[in-house]
Amino acid sequence: MGAPEETYFATVVPMDFTYNYRVGPYITRYLDGFKEKKILGSKCPGCSLVAVPPRKFCGVCSKVMEEMVELGQEGTLENFTVGHVVIEKGKLSPADAPYILGLVKLEGATSSLLAKVEGLSPTEVKTGMKVKAVWKEPVEGDYGDLDHFEPV
Amino acid sequence: MDRNVAIVGYRMQSAPDLVTSRERLTFELTRGLFDDLGIERTDVDTTIIDSNDFMDGRTISNVFLDPPAGVYMRDESKVEMDAANAVIYACMRILSGQYNTALVVGLALTGYQASPYLYIEYTLNPTYERQVKLLNEINAAALQAHSYLDKSGYSNELLDDIAAQALANAALNPNQARRISGISKDKVAASAMYYEPLRELHCYPPTDGGCAVLLASEEKAKELTDKPVWIKGMGMSTETYYLGERKLYKSRSTAEAAKRAYELAGIKKPEKDIDVAEISALFAHQEPLLAEALGLLDEGKADKAYKDGVTAIDGKLPLNPSGGALGGHPVSVTGMMRMVEAARQLRGEAGDNQVKKAELAVVHGQDGVCAQQNAVLVLGI
Repeated sequence: MGAPEETYFATVVPMDFTYNYRVGPYITRYLDGFKEKKILGSKCPGCSLVAVPPRKFCGVCSKVMEEMVELGQEGTLENFTVGHVVIEKGKLSPADAPYILGLVKLEGATSSLLAKVEGLSPTEVKTGMKVKAVWKEPVEGDYGDLDHFEPV
Repeated sequence: MDRNVAIVGYRMQSAPDLVTSRERLTFELTRGLFDDLGIERTDVDTTIIDSNDFMDGRTISNVFLDPPAGVYMRDESKVEMDAANAVIYACMRILSGQYNTALVVGLALTGYQASPYLYIEYTLNPTYERQVKLLNEINAAALQAHSYLDKSGYSNELLDDIAAQALANAALNPNQARRISGISKDKVAASAMYYEPLRELHCYPPTDGGCAVLLASEEKAKELTDKPVWIKGMGMSTETYYLGERKLYKSRSTAEAAKRAYELAGIKKPEKDIDVAEISALFAHQEPLLAEALGLLDEGKADKAYKDGVTAIDGKLPLNPSGGALGGHPVSVTGMMRMVEAARQLRGEAGDNQVKKAELAVVHGQDGVCAQQNAVLVLGI
């Protein structure tokens, strides 16, 4: 498809605005847990789902997950990928160095949590490895507290 | 279904950058289609426009398209998901008995106007994933690819085989945006690694594109074309957004959608009955993964099927003879383009991409991270 003959006037339109979301108490409790280096999940009364991060509604059962449970600090690496690129604001560019992202199934959870995995070479990582949480010091009650996982 | 509904005509355009405007693309597609069929806009009873407001950078973006789409003072509505869903919506309008013709127009300027990766970033949960900043479309697909390869013990080489076949098919197809001459498995394997095991040529390219299709009731279809392609079945299904709760190596929602579509079409053995499949596989591994969910491939046999050429244009079960989404993925138009490619096969108009026997086809479209929502259509002649 060649370019059409006429010239197209091209305009750059930046967008700059803020959304204010109400999230509910479950994430508040999850992040409050981080202040004590605890990882909380929510348990469905209808099925065996223990979701982390916790959320209120179970899609399978259409029920409220009322119970919060504390999960282990250790878990199993269920799946992983080694990143060679980063995507920021929709732009893909090479990463400074390869890095590992994994889906970790914590003890007591039925769902997996996406996290960075560090402390080993990307060539050594294997599905099924036991890993443990590494916390940022000091913890502040935000998402960054649960910094990464490393092999047990 | 109570009435028979046919695809009677189509137009499509696709390129890395179409150097156009939304309005011009819409006009060229719809006016071109009207001229192909010898109709005017007043012959169209209802119109469904499919585009994405986030990609368009404006809300209810169809409000700007009444002049180019010919919908001034007409019956018109909008779909924001993959346009396979818009086709289902349009088909249902004809099935209602209120309409005899329905125009579907899908468009996306994702090659030039805005990044497709940005679009996916904004489908993620703003209060979790976008805060944690780890998940994106490609690493999610990489996790799915890893899970799929692991489950059946396939080597990463399978991805190269799949992509090489798709890209070779795309190179033959003038409708595709990414046409690489002399594409080979080695070229695929040498392309840049994104997230293991996915390399650049295992992933869809950012693409501009648009597609227009006219559907008609049986009576009207026979007036408008000698080559109607009938919509025999349709179904859609969605699964959970949460990746950590899904078995990524399979697509349960595609299987559910296919079950509904096959039931309507009276298909009991898809692997035997279906002649050709056009599947919205945005990443190489999704082609066999979704083909399994569509009942076309046996689990655990994908590597053999690709090695033996079963899935090639001249194979027993051609998958994406058009080249599929690895040849181009204008976000939200792709499923509709797959449908048009399947219709071209059934009409014997697919040129160098033509498969030998094409009487019954299955078409698939997807939305969301790792194909969360899926739509399936069965087409026949």
